[in-house]
Amino acid sequence: MSRLTSGGRLERLLSIVPWVVANNGPTVAEIAERFDYSEERLLDDLTNVLFMVGTYPFTPDQLVEVVVEDDRVWIHYAEYFARPLRLTPDQALALVTAGSSLLAVPGADPDGPLARGLGKIAATLGVTPGADIDVDLGNASPEVLATVRGAIAGRNRLHIEYYGYNRDEVTERLVDPYRMTSDEGQWYLLAHCHRAEGERLFRLDRIQAIALTMETFDAPATVPGVSVFEPNPDDPRVVLDLTAEARWVPQAYPAEEVSELDNGGLRVTLAISAIPWLARLLLRLGPEVTLVSTGGDIPEDLAQQTAAQVLRRYTGSIQQNSDDPWRGVRPTLG
Amino acid sequence: MAKLERLLNLTAALLETERPLAAEELRERIEGYPEASASFRRAFERDKDDLREMGIPISLEPLAGSDPPVDGYRIRKDDYYLPDPGLEPDELAALHLAGNAVRIDGLSGAEALRKLGGAVGEPSDDTVVASVPTDPRLTVLFTAVTERNVVAFDYRDERRLVEPWRLDFVRGRWYLTGYDQNREGERHFRLDRMASMVEIVAEAAFEREGSGTGIRLQPWELGDEPPQIARLLVDPDQAAWATHHVGQPVEVRDDGAIIIEVAVTNEVAFRSFVLTFLEHAEILEPADLRASMISWLEDLANRVATP
Repeated sequence: MSRLTSGGRLERLLSIVPWVVANNGPTVAEIAERFDYSEERLLDDLTNVLFMVGTYPFTPDQLVEVVVEDDRVWIHYAEYFARPLRLTPDQALALVTAGSSLLAVPGADPDGPLARGLGKIAATLGVTPGADIDVDLGNASPEVLATVRGAIAGRNRLHIEYYGYNRDEVTERLVDPYRMTSDEGQWYLLAHCHRAEGERLFRLDRIQAIALTMETFDAPATVPGVSVFEPNPDDPRVVLDLTAEARWVPQAYPAEEVSELDNGGLRVTLAISAIPWLARLLLRLGPEVTLVSTGGDIPEDLAQQTAAQVLRRYTGSIQQNSDDPWRGVRPTLG
Repeated sequence: MAKLERLLNLTAALLETERPLAAEELRERIEGYPEASASFRRAFERDKDDLREMGIPISLEPLAGSDPPVDGYRIRKDDYYLPDPGLEPDELAALHLAGNAVRIDGLSGAEALRKLGGAVGEPSDDTVVASVPTDPRLTVLFTAVTERNVVAFDYRDERRLVEPWRLDFVRGRWYLTGYDQNREGERHFRLDRMASMVEIVAEAAFEREGSGTGIRLQPWELGDEPPQIARLLVDPDQAAWATHHVGQPVEVRDDGAIIIEVAVTNEVAFRSFVLTFLEHAEILEPADLRASMISWLEDLANRVATP
C-alpha cells in the first residue's frame, strides 16, 4: 500500500468518496478498514488533497468540503464524485469469474447471498453468468466434494481409497482434511496423511471411496501451503529433448532447466517423483521426445519398456479371441 | 500529492462540463500544469493515460466552431458512473468471500469490490481456495462476448472471423465457443492455441444463436476429423474414474470392467487419453483406430534407446 501510485490513490479515493457521501459521518477507522487504506494516508488525502479539489473558477462554493470532526468524516459538494466509477473489463471479469465459479461448486446455495449478489452485478454489467462465461473448478463427484467439505468443517478424520496416478496404485489411507483447493481446473484435498505421516495433496477425482470416521482431529493454527507440483530435492532428474511440436511440455510441467535446440525444439530437465508419470509422458509424446539422460532407477529404455508392456495388452487379447483380425499379425514383444 | 490533486481536478472538470473542453481551457482551469507548451502537452498526455488506465473513459469530440476542426475532451457521465446494483450487505459480503477464495491470476476483484462499497467485516475462510489461470486474450474476449463484438485471430494457420458466444474454463483451460464466419458453423477454440492477439472487427454486430447450455467437450472432440465411434475397454480399477470423466459405460462386465463409447474427431488427443491408462485400457474398435494405436506402440517399443 505504501507504494500506491497517484493513479492508485486516485482510484481508491474515487471509491471512498461515494461511500462517505452516502453514509452519515463514518469514522476514519471504519473507512480505513473498509477500503484497505491506512488512516494516516486517508486523513492526508482528505484534508490536504480532496479539500483543494473543485471546479472552475475555484471560488469557495465550487470546492469540495471535507469535515473531519471527532474522528468522523463528512464530504459535501462533491456531486460529480458521489457515485462510483464503473468497473473496468478486468474488474468485471474478475468479479464475475470468482462469483460464478464458486456458485458452480456442488453444494453451493443457488438462492443464497452469493447467487443474489452475482445476479445483481451481472445485470448491471449486461453479463449472463453461465451463458456468457462459465468456470468449472474441477471435475469431482458431488458426493466426494460434499463429504470433504463437511469433514473439513467438522474436523472429521476421513478414510479414503485413493488411486495414485503417478505411481499407478490404489492405497487406503486415513487423512485429516484441512483445505480444498482448485488449481488448473482440478480439485485437490490438502490433508495430513497418517500413512505418509505428512501433508499431502489428493486429487478429488481420484478418490475412489470415501467415508467419515468417528474420530475428529485438531486442525493446526495455520494450514501449510503445499503446491501441486513440488519437486523433491531427492527426486531423480531426467533430461529430455523435445521437438518443436512438444514445446508445450515445460509450460504444463515445471521444468528446472530449459534451453533451445537448433532444430526448434527444447532441452528440458524435469524432476521425476514417480516413474509411471514419466512413462505416460514418453508414451504420449512418442517420436517427439528423446530421453537424453536419466537418474535414480529410471531405466534408459523406459519408453520402449512401457510401450512393450502396453502392447502386450493388445497382443495378449488376441490369444483370448480367435476371431481377432490381428491374430498372428503383430509380434508379441518382451 | 500535487499530481493526485491535479488528477482529481481534471476528472472533476471533465465530468462536470456539459460541452467538450479544449486542452488550452483545461490548462487554464486546472492548477499544477507546467507553463511551457511542450511540457504541458507531455504532462496532459500522461494524465489522460493515467485516467484511461483506471478505466475512466475520456471521449474526444470536435469543438464547436473550430476551423480547422480541433478535438476537445470530456467524460460522459453515462460512461463514467457505475449503475447502482443495489447490493444488500450479505450479498456484498458473499462476493468478498468469493473474491478471496477464487484467485484469478493477474486480475483482482478487490478494486471492483471497493467501488461497490468496500469490505464489510466478513469472516475469513480459507478452507476452500481456488486459483484460475488467465490468458492475455481473456478480457477482450469477455467484453466481446457481452457486447456482441465480432473478433478476428489466427488459429491453426488461418485467420478466423468469429462471433463469440461464450467462454468456458474446463479442465484447466479456457475455451471460446462461437460462430466461425469462414467455416459457417459453430466452433470451439482453445485460447492458448490462438496464434495472435484478438482484434475487434465490428462492434455490437451479431445476435447470439446457440450454445446457451455450455460446452463440456473432451479433448478428442476438439478436432475437424470425420467422427469415428471408438469403443474403449477399461479395467475395473479405473472404471469409476473413466465413468466419471467420460460418462456412463455402454457395457459393464461381470468383473467390473467397462466399455465406453465416444465420438473421436481428434485422434491424437484420444490416443493421449487412452495412454494415460497405461495397460489398464484398450481400444476395441474401430479397427483402424486400434491398428494405429498398435503401430504407435510398436514404433516406440522398437525405437533404439539413445543414452
